[in-house]
Amino acid sequence: MQPFFEATDYFPADTDGRVEAMAKVTGKAKYSAEYQAPGLCYGFFATSTVAAGKIVSIDTTLAKQADGVIDIITHEHKPLVPGLADETKIRESRFGLPVFHTDKIYFKGQPIALIIAETLEEATYAASLITAIYHAETHNIDFELSHPKVALKPDGKERGSLQAWQQAPRMVEAEYTIRNEVHNPMEMHATIAHWTADNKLKLYDKTQGVNNVQRTMARLFGIPNDNVEVMSEFVGGGFGSGLRVWSNTLAATMGAMQVKRPVKLMLSRPQMFMLTGYRPQCWQRVKLGADENGKLLGLYHQGRNSTSMYENFSEGFTRECRLIYTVENLKTESATVPLNLSTPTWMRGPGDCSGDFAIESTVDELSYLLKMDPVELRLKNISNEKDPETGKPWSTNYLSECISRGAERIEWKNRPTGSGQLTDGDWKIGYGMAVGMWGAGRQNASAGIKMQKDGSILVQTAMTDIGTGTGTGIQNVAHDSTGIPKNRIKIELGNSSLPPAPSQGGSTGLSSITGAIAAVCNALKQKLVDYATVVDNAYKGMNIADLLISETGISARSGNAPSISFTVLFDTNHIDTIAVEASAGPGDERQKFSFCSSAAHFCKLRVHTKTGKVKIERMVCTVDAGKVVNSKAAANQISGAAVGGIGMALMEEQNADNALGSLLANDLAGYHFAVNADAPIIEVAFINKPDFNSNPSGAKGIGEVGIIGCAAAIANAIYNATGKRLRDLPITPDKVLMG
Amino acid sequence: MKKAHTHSRRLFLQTSSMLASLAFIPRSVKAFYLETRNFLVASKKTGSLAVSVNKKLYTVEADTRTTLLDLLRENLQLTGTKKGCDHGQCGACTVHIDGKRVLSCLTLAAMVPGKEVTTIEGLSDGEHLHPMQQAFIECDGFQCGYCTPGQIMSAVACVQEGHTHSVTEIKEFMSGNLCRCGAYNGIVEAIQKVAS
Ligand code: FES
Ligand code: FES
Repeated sequence: MQPFFEATDYFPADTDGRVEAMAKVTGKAKYSAEYQAPGLCYGFFATSTVAAGKIVSIDTTLAKQADGVIDIITHEHKPLVPGLADETKIRESRFGLPVFHTDKIYFKGQPIALIIAETLEEATYAASLITAIYHAETHNIDFELSHPKVALKPDGKERGSLQAWQQAPRMVEAEYTIRNEVHNPMEMHATIAHWTADNKLKLYDKTQGVNNVQRTMARLFGIPNDNVEVMSEFVGGGFGSGLRVWSNTLAATMGAMQVKRPVKLMLSRPQMFMLTGYRPQCWQRVKLGADENGKLLGLYHQGRNSTSMYENFSEGFTRECRLIYTVENLKTESATVPLNLSTPTWMRGPGDCSGDFAIESTVDELSYLLKMDPVELRLKNISNEKDPETGKPWSTNYLSECISRGAERIEWKNRPTGSGQLTDGDWKIGYGMAVGMWGAGRQNASAGIKMQKDGSILVQTAMTDIGTGTGTGIQNVAHDSTGIPKNRIKIELGNSSLPPAPSQGGSTGLSSITGAIAAVCNALKQKLVDYATVVDNAYKGMNIADLLISETGISARSGNAPSISFTVLFDTNHIDTIAVEASAGPGDERQKFSFCSSAAHFCKLRVHTKTGKVKIERMVCTVDAGKVVNSKAAANQISGAAVGGIGMALMEEQNADNALGSLLANDLAGYHFAVNADAPIIEVAFINKPDFNSNPSGAKGIGEVGIIGCAAAIANAIYNATGKRLRDLPITPDKVLMG
Repeated sequence: MKKAHTHSRRLFLQTSSMLASLAFIPRSVKAFYLETRNFLVASKKTGSLAVSVNKKLYTVEADTRTTLLDLLRENLQLTGTKKGCDHGQCGACTVHIDGKRVLSCLTLAAMVPGKEVTTIEGLSDGEHLHPMQQAFIECDGFQCGYCTPGQIMSAVACVQEGHTHSVTEIKEFMSGNLCRCGAYNGIVEAIQKVAS
């Protein structure tokens, strides 16, 4: 059996941390708002105080008289962005909120003016002096009242028929609801926009994808991609909020154009609740039928999620139920509900995370109905061999192994089979589990290597590292492919002028980039063989697999080619550096196989019977993410995701006050996510079996499966402890007591 | 129609642009105008501050509204101290003032002259990392790194305060420092390592 990595022992002794660790612990790491530019001035948004309607007029008189104010941008006073010039262009731009290019108000908190001033204090103060008159219209931000009025539509292919299993011997059916959740990365979204020449733009922007920002801004401003340079070397978290280009990036760029100086715009924390997306509120209904032995016969999953008035965002939460179990009859339906809120966006485990809560709660409920161990029920129905949706074989899928190992780890055998059986004073104790899956994608990516005369290399790609450990993963793969010692491999990331790469999201980052790294390492080796041939003909035609790279030079694994030092190699060829670039992407293996990452989450918790407080005692996550490229960073990802799952299950909620058209939470006191004391030490284990069809490194995506399933595992444990089946997230103490 | 401002403000706004365009304004009207403006628009006040950060004395002309956090980040370019909320709710801005952990976003710059401020940039001793920084590296006590300077400053204080007897106690006394990446495993482990 593979060793179980624990929180305390998952560090291989040979590493001394991430490539960027030093920068991060010394405060030297620079995030988007932390750069200097000549003549830098500050922007701050003034936002709408109504939730729907039109701006009649904006009064900037007072604000203009405040000290330090340079200019104020509104929809009436702005540099026109060509890509948003009229309604048609706005629609075609797919930019989302056409900030300052419309008088329409879609939600409360929508930016109506950008104040640009000499200092942050001056801009912030002047923003408070902006007033506007609106033609307010009736708004609607009430999801609960609105969603039943929206008709559901089929999504995805129906399997079998709904009628076939309506007489199933065992049937469970229930509704589930989840409130809005907000990403709230610790770093607020920020942009420094600098027009370095008439049509040349330089942006420091908090984003998960510099090339996406580059393309978007080039398109909007009608300039070539190459004229836009976007930097995001350090990104203070994203969780999906950095996958789109938001109003702060556009507004700062407009501001810089207007005042002909670089402008820094950092959103305030309250603005982070309105302007950078969120996981939408949803309603779901699941009906699940089985025979007496627990074989699943049919599944019917329906759901609706909220969206904005100006864009449609569909969560896709009915995807998850199609992945995990063998179910012959399956039907899914969904719909979106437009409200006067900003547009939601992908948030960690988007769709699947919400869908999984409903599905995995239902499966748990079925297990009690069947009087069957939920572990056994799952093992019986999991589709181990093939993707139940496409019928293609899984390239690899070790979900069942995840379940068995997790069960062993948490000592599942100690779990009381009925609910409410284990007590300790005023506490009730329970065990719960759930599984999660995520399609393991891969995209085209490219990377470059520059080798110096001393034999050290710099690996470059535009991909960002939002905290996942991409840089370290790249270093590991480059080391494995070339043999160059890690301390001689430097990494440069997050700049659009480097070889292009996809945005870091959907758990595809490492999977995409490692292919490019492997390819560029091969390109380097080929180049070295070519140059070596100039020095000594014995290298002619050498297979790159036979090339060895050491600290001092190159040699051949076998045969009679002599060792060549880097000095000789570079001097003989009259070169100072060797530069190579390569791209790689998915191939036809994607036609042959289906790809997934999967995880089993186990939880042991206690519930206080008098206060309703839930205390998580243990959380065990066993994960199949292919080969683990860096066990330290990977375990950190999973434990961090589980902490997110605890938040989702127990505390994270954005509520709406429809009377005022306001969202209630707009700061970190009003919106709780898990603090250190809310989480136990998360126990993480990996199956760690490579999937070489996925990419040359054998790794599969890891960012999402850590959270998908956590909420259900916790809700299921609460049921085991108390006998209360709580279907409305988050499960706050009031719901525990009233349930 | 919704109106967002008061009557007097509105009157002022209506008349101010008119007044500005008149060449000869009676003195009394002008005085009224200026008085009203000053009432509605607070003017900026600045003061010279001598602030000691990381044992270095800075003399700066600062806005009286400037927080210590913004002074560090925007005026002194010591951007290691992070802004996560600006409201005392996240701990990202934690610094030490005279050796105690303090939220710099809730501290006005004008309050710190005469005190010694230590930020993450001043924690290491020259080239040598503080043991807590080293422990954060070894235990991978971060992901994105944005909460990290605040975590480390708090962690150093947590050890000094002696709140490290158990995992539970560490977790409790580190709960003022939010980490959205959820790197709590490594943070706790790093503190345990330094405390022992
Ligand atoms: S920035 Fe000071 S506590 Fe959040
Ligand atoms: S490391 Fe990202 S918020 Fe803590």
